[in-house]
Amino acid sequence: MENVAIKVENLVKHFGQGDSLVRVIEGADFQVNKGELVALVAPSGAGKTTLLMMIGCVEEPTGGAIWLGEEKVYDNKWLTKEQRKIRREKIGFIFQAHYLIPFLNVIENVTLIPQTNGVLEKEAKKIAMELLEYFAIADKAKAMSSQLSGGQNQRVAIARALANKPQIILADEPTAALDSKRSVDVVKMLKKIATEQDVAVIMVTHDEAMLPLCDRILTIEEKKVVSKEVSEETAIL
Amino acid sequence: MINLAQKDVKHTLGKFLVTAMGVGMLLGIVLIMMGVYRGMMVDAEVLLDDIKADLWVVQEDTLGPFAEASRIHEDLKDTIRVIDGIKSAEALTFQNIQLPQKPKPVRVVAVGYDPFGTVNPINPERLVAGHGLTKDHYQIVVSDKTGFKVGDTIHLVRNDYHVVGVTHGSVSSGADPLVYVSLKDAQELQFSYTNNRIRSDRARGFKNSEATMVNTIVARVKPGYDVDAVAQDIRRFKHKSVYTAAQQKTILTKNLVERASKQIGMFTAILIVVSTIIIALIIYTMTLEKMKEITIMKLVGIPNSMIIKMIAQETLLLGFLAFIFGNIFSHLIYSKFPKRVVLLIPDAWTLFIVVIIASILASLVGIRKVIKADPASAIGG
Repeated sequence: MENVAIKVENLVKHFGQGDSLVRVIEGADFQVNKGELVALVAPSGAGKTTLLMMIGCVEEPTGGAIWLGEEKVYDNKWLTKEQRKIRREKIGFIFQAHYLIPFLNVIENVTLIPQTNGVLEKEAKKIAMELLEYFAIADKAKAMSSQLSGGQNQRVAIARALANKPQIILADEPTAALDSKRSVDVVKMLKKIATEQDVAVIMVTHDEAMLPLCDRILTIEEKKVVSKEVSEETAIL
Repeated sequence: MINLAQKDVKHTLGKFLVTAMGVGMLLGIVLIMMGVYRGMMVDAEVLLDDIKADLWVVQEDTLGPFAEASRIHEDLKDTIRVIDGIKSAEALTFQNIQLPQKPKPVRVVAVGYDPFGTVNPINPERLVAGHGLTKDHYQIVVSDKTGFKVGDTIHLVRNDYHVVGVTHGSVSSGADPLVYVSLKDAQELQFSYTNNRIRSDRARGFKNSEATMVNTIVARVKPGYDVDAVAQDIRRFKHKSVYTAAQQKTILTKNLVERASKQIGMFTAILIVVSTIIIALIIYTMTLEKMKEITIMKLVGIPNSMIIKMIAQETLLLGFLAFIFGNIFSHLIYSKFPKRVVLLIPDAWTLFIVVIIASILASLVGIRKVIKADPASAIGG
């Protein structure tokens, strides 16, 4: 359990009820270890984002259990009322688009969550600058997101996701808006973060070219989550 | 800690300032409306304050001379003068006349008084040129609003009147400019008829006995005498209506100005409600524009309190800036209004409190939107 970052047991998610009941996930069981980059692959509408949102304590499951690290956060009901605090302290989110706050500059975007967590401004800025240097955009610290390219913005978004030193990164198609070269760069970056910082990363992707860079693949088949190794065939791709 | 409101306002400073200016102009109009009301109250009391009479004797059972027509005999002043406690008493007339002026005649209220009497209705502080009346006939003191100057000649009915003085700020309770003529001239202006009318009256056996009528006798009471007691004596023995200065002021402000002031009060209240709705709509729109960012902030764990603080601070800042712009706007334009507009600091502070309360109420609209925003909507669309 020590090495497990995410554990899901018999997770169920239904929408609606009666005739309009939609069964999205039916008894998902899986776990993601620290330092692992896992791709979540499934056809559109299969429930990838819903699964991500349940793990991220945003969407309430219908049943089952979820552990984030050692902490059990859901057992047929939320075990804490402070899901937002859990998100803020344990999880980093990366989206399709960068979704940076447009009225904050780069460093303010990155320091917002640490400062909300009570980290002093000076310390938060130090962490942010280290991250921006890591992603080679320290010179853009005072720039607004509108002044950056798509790739630069996405790097800032990743820096923001890491600023709270999360145990888990949930990335929802982080390469969807990028060209193939930048996409590979971003996924390699996520892999590096997972390995170096011992963070579990779940990345939703439709891009098969990204799969060889991942440690494992989770797919949703017949409303259940199935874990697959990256095959040699896929790796060659 | 990052102040989100400060950052957001800085990011859209131009738009924010223009919005505040727009709301400020609306608030400026609210201030002007309040100033118009104050101006009416001041105008209503100008003549009373200038005459400085303790008692107003008018036709019995009337609220004269301002709220109702009042006709009494001029010689009543002699009878009143001998009443115990009376220091002085003089007759006054008030009538609306039109002064021939280009491009169009000027409507004024003419005050007739005895230039050699003890009551001078011309406040020396308002006299900006020339002097008061020094003769019994054919002199006139005008308000600067009439456009006449000292030395001008004004033809009225049968005679020419020489302008000997100009006043500033002297207006009737209805905000018409005041002119001053001698009591004899005023009576002649009021009761002089054409030759045909005089012949016609004589043929009917009518006599022009009105030429000695006046509208009121004003009296001052000797020190040490109770004004109400003296007034009661006049009522009892002379069968006239008598009002103290305070009662006359009440008649003017309550009977004459009250309805108009209520009208203005209604307009002011409606404008404040409209301003609140507009601020609320602006805040709602500003919140909607930031909805994506707000859901992202909620998703990544920013607490509601921080986002609500941002909305509330922006709303209060908008209200505060609008209040500043409103004051600047109202002070820039108030002198352009034809009637007196009096802008008082206490009124501005009252409006400030109202604006802050309105802003807090308006921010609730945006805050409700923030609380209801679903963080899950940030992802997948």
